[in-house]
Amino acid sequence: MKHVIIGAGAAGIQAAKTIRSLMKDAEILVISTDTHVHSRCMLHKYLSHERDEKTLSFIPEDFFETNHISWIKDKTVTSIDTEASVVILQDGSQESYDRLLIATGAHSFIPPVGQFREANNVFGLRDLSDAQAIRPLADKAENILVVGSGLVGMDAAYAFLEQGKAVTVVEMAERILPLQLDEAAGDAYREKFEGHGCRFLLGKKASETVMNTDGAIEAVILDDGTRIDCDLVIVAAGVRPAIECVQGSSIKSERFIEVNSHMETSCPHVYAAGDVAGLSGIWPNAMKQGETAAYNMCGIEKDYTDLYAMKNTMNFYGITTLSLGRGVAEKGDEVIIHQDSKGYRRAILRDGKLDSILIQGEIDYSGVYQYVIKNKIDVSSMKDKIFALSFSDFYGIDEKGKYQYQY
Amino acid sequence: MNQCYGCNTCKSADKPLEDFIRSLPMETSHHRVDTQKTKCGFGLQGVCCRLCSNGPCRITPSSPRGICGANADTIVTRNFLRSVAAGSGCYIHIVENTALNLKKTAQTKGELKGMESLNHLAELFGIEEEDNYVKAEKIADAVLADLYKPEYVQAELVEKIAYAPRVKRWKELGIMPGGAKSEVFKGVVKCSTNLNSDPVDMLTDCLKLGISTGIYGLTLTNLLNDVLLGQPELRPAPVGLRVIDPDYINIMITGHQHTIFVDLQEKLVAPEAVKKAQAAGAKGFKLVGCTCVGQDLQLRGSHYQEVFDGHAGNNYTSEAILATGGIDAVLSEFNCTLPGIEPICDELKIKQICLDDVAKKANAELLPYKFEEREAQTEVIIDKIIEAYKERRGNVPMNLLPEHGNSNTLTGVSEGSLKSFLGGSWKPLIDLIVSGDIKGIAGVVGCSNLTAGGHDVLTVELTKELIARDIIVLTAGCSSGGIENCGLMTPEAAKLAGPKLRAVCEKLGIPPVLNFGPCLAIGRLEIVATEIAAELGVDLPQLPLVLSAAQWLEEQAIADGCFGLSLGLPLHLGLPPFMTGSPVAVKVLTEDMKELTGGQVIINSDAKASADILENIIEEKRSALHI
Amino acid sequence: MKRIFIDAAKCDGCKNCTVACMQAHRADKGNVYSLNLTDILNESRNHIVCSSDGSYKPIFCRHCDQPECVMSCMSGALTKDPETGHVLYDENKCGSCFMCVMNCPYGVLKPDTATHTKVIKCDFCAEDPEGPACVRACPKKAIYIEEVGE
Repeated sequence: MKHVIIGAGAAGIQAAKTIRSLMKDAEILVISTDTHVHSRCMLHKYLSHERDEKTLSFIPEDFFETNHISWIKDKTVTSIDTEASVVILQDGSQESYDRLLIATGAHSFIPPVGQFREANNVFGLRDLSDAQAIRPLADKAENILVVGSGLVGMDAAYAFLEQGKAVTVVEMAERILPLQLDEAAGDAYREKFEGHGCRFLLGKKASETVMNTDGAIEAVILDDGTRIDCDLVIVAAGVRPAIECVQGSSIKSERFIEVNSHMETSCPHVYAAGDVAGLSGIWPNAMKQGETAAYNMCGIEKDYTDLYAMKNTMNFYGITTLSLGRGVAEKGDEVIIHQDSKGYRRAILRDGKLDSILIQGEIDYSGVYQYVIKNKIDVSSMKDKIFALSFSDFYGIDEKGKYQYQY
Repeated sequence: MNQCYGCNTCKSADKPLEDFIRSLPMETSHHRVDTQKTKCGFGLQGVCCRLCSNGPCRITPSSPRGICGANADTIVTRNFLRSVAAGSGCYIHIVENTALNLKKTAQTKGELKGMESLNHLAELFGIEEEDNYVKAEKIADAVLADLYKPEYVQAELVEKIAYAPRVKRWKELGIMPGGAKSEVFKGVVKCSTNLNSDPVDMLTDCLKLGISTGIYGLTLTNLLNDVLLGQPELRPAPVGLRVIDPDYINIMITGHQHTIFVDLQEKLVAPEAVKKAQAAGAKGFKLVGCTCVGQDLQLRGSHYQEVFDGHAGNNYTSEAILATGGIDAVLSEFNCTLPGIEPICDELKIKQICLDDVAKKANAELLPYKFEEREAQTEVIIDKIIEAYKERRGNVPMNLLPEHGNSNTLTGVSEGSLKSFLGGSWKPLIDLIVSGDIKGIAGVVGCSNLTAGGHDVLTVELTKELIARDIIVLTAGCSSGGIENCGLMTPEAAKLAGPKLRAVCEKLGIPPVLNFGPCLAIGRLEIVATEIAAELGVDLPQLPLVLSAAQWLEEQAIADGCFGLSLGLPLHLGLPPFMTGSPVAVKVLTEDMKELTGGQVIINSDAKASADILENIIEEKRSALHI
Repeated sequence: MKRIFIDAAKCDGCKNCTVACMQAHRADKGNVYSLNLTDILNESRNHIVCSSDGSYKPIFCRHCDQPECVMSCMSGALTKDPETGHVLYDENKCGSCFMCVMNCPYGVLKPDTATHTKVIKCDFCAEDPEGPACVRACPKKAIYIEEVGE
């Protein structure tokens, strides 16, 4: 049995590892455009010179050898022939498969603003190759513009500030990290960033660019006419699933590849996991999807159940934040807010259940909240201590010593 | 039948005793060391506070203050002061009873055995009186008067007893105590809930309590005892479980108040009592020494050869002594009477009588000693013990250990008997110190515990290390009981000493470890030190003299230790006194104290490392004296 | 694998396990007497919670069969050891994102208080041949080691 995995990100690597643990003798081949296995969530640490290609890796150095996994790197799969059960690489070579996992991830989305798409100093921050291209330019740059204040944008801004650059962040929303944080929590970070020299332009959009003869953007003009001179532009405006390789194949896809609960695509024996599958782009979910796909590829039926993806943590300038849920209060919701020296916390309760929680500052032992939200546990009797929930409130233990929620 | 209770007993420096205890069919403290081995880390560091209903509060990284706001320094020093005050109270209780017994004896013109001590005290106190009884009464009154003074009235005898340079320093530091009982009172008030929070202020009070404990509890108690019971005289004596003679009705005594036994120890060997004993089938009565009152009796053993069999062992030997089956009654009047002896007494039908309600044991009969009724009480005690003897002998198993201990421990060492032995002067000892034949003096004092390596393990190991370094060891307290049973106080122990000390010992026919008796006799060591210092014209901290309470056990020992610190002496402890949670307390006791009084606390549970530290200090002091 | 079993009914909340954990993982040397109980660098990896009913609940890492913390770790700092079954943490690899804190369903993990750069995580006292210090320190035997198989 030959397993081919396209992509060496969280889903792909986890799938390879899982297949190996389930099938000692199966042939496993990973094909990736990436030259290094790396954690995308840490690319900003490459920009800040805290990590290099090697320390961006999230697997042991001898991962492929130890697990007897073959790896074709620096090659992109351009198409898939599901009839022949082969994938075709950019150089025309082919690899046959018995089971195929597509874990190609996503690409940064560069909006068609001015000459963003043509310029040679405009980048997304998604792959190591992006970071490798950005770093030498950033090292020389003085003024850097970050478009978008989501996690990727803020990560990039942080890295450049650490390098002593003048950084401007433009954000369409009226607050930073708009999807994860409310205004109060966002302001705590904004103040920290500003304290380190960051300039924020909120509620504004980039609308035009000024490109020089070398093909580099010199300035970006905002919708209110503000001109921002810059040597480098990072666009953090979201990602789009990397579905190029299935186009023209019988694998059903629209914006992303469609999968069933086994992570199987419309074509038998072809699976998809991670960003490309469109279920959820965050790390733990990608890992679990890769693992679920692997089980099914090995003939062990397993459903992917963890659809909850509205969760994130962040850590800038020593302020840690945990954010679960959409954070948008609806009519009839109860919003509880606490602010003290330990931090800022906001909970949204809906029908006696926790819908969202935001904890900024001390996030110790806060793991229970995801479970409570995901499993829609009634916490109406615990409203008074909603920010002090712990597993002791649901304590149970089974005969194997595993904790079990009791409620 | 004699199935052992459990073989996981703790170690003892006394191997035969360790084996004996392990073989016993009943549970002892030595067995419980294992079941109590899990200690509370907060308790060990002294950072658990139970002073109010908000507690117990404990100090952790996420909770560095108690609910009231007290930090580790405040919590630790409050607990520490409380211990010192309680420990001081114990000693003051002893000296109070001792002085009262002397006073009443004088009033009734009873026997006073120590004329030399009487005159010495009269001289120190400035009492000029022809009549010995009046003299004795005035001495007792002077002591009592000081004990009962308020805290704000300075005690009078401190200046008369303590070494002048010390008094000078104490005055500079503002730690001259008031009335000794009131100092205890003040101490417990200070450390109560939400009163004092200043660690340094509370530690200063500890020194003050140390002085009153030392002057009254540790120094005067001995001298008053000597007046009433006779001065110590050197003599070789048997020690250990071997002293129990099953042909006699044996009474184990525990406590610290020798004067309570004055009448009893006379009557037990009077013909009437002997006749009663013989009628019951025994040859007569014997007192078997245990804990410090046993040491006191041993110290004055030359006066009580008929009634006193010898010292059998210290506090943590008491269960073994009873387990021999050879003891018919326990007379207790103070600590260190372990609660753990009670089930053993019940099982072996041993009569328990308490002579002072402060040490009332749960299943003992209380017969509080009243001087006026002492003769009638003696009668009652004798009859009750004979009754117990008759009921138990033949009905309980005997499990004697006649080989245990040794028969030639040097006993009766005191400031007086030692000086006489040296020819009436300290010069020979000073010469030996100056010449380096004796490198220095270490007082290995205080209690016995079971946790610093095991029963007497650190005490005995440290003593061996010290004598091997030519440092002569003087002991007082339950440490004496352990060390003597291990044979270090026999002349043969000289071979364990370093070559120079060994030669001295062999020449003089003395052991390298000299037994001053009970913990109270720490005061006698202080007298020796003071007289040597005076002869040299130096202050105490300059002497090549160190103290170790290697296996300190209880609050009294902590108060003793504060006396040692106020004297300016280096004080080694095997285990920290529940204070390491406070950086301020640690610094004051181990560092700042050197500047304050000249003393310092050294905490180390390793015998060799401790001996190295103490030897270094002695050598530093020697070179400062240019010797 | 071996797991620390918990009999919460026996727990008196004495925190001896907590002190033992601090002692076992302190950076400086010394015995429990010299353990700095107020130093935030000496954080315990276990903790005891007093429940609303007054009972104590020991919250100790389960070294889960399907560890959510490992799944959420984007740096490879958290791994499940296939040999021992224990969930290991390599602070040198840690990216300090604290996704593991959020993803541990039992709220066992926390960022370190002093620097917010690493996670406070049970290591089963792997280097101590006598096993976890907390277990040895429990006077009530409320925590004990048992083999749980695969």
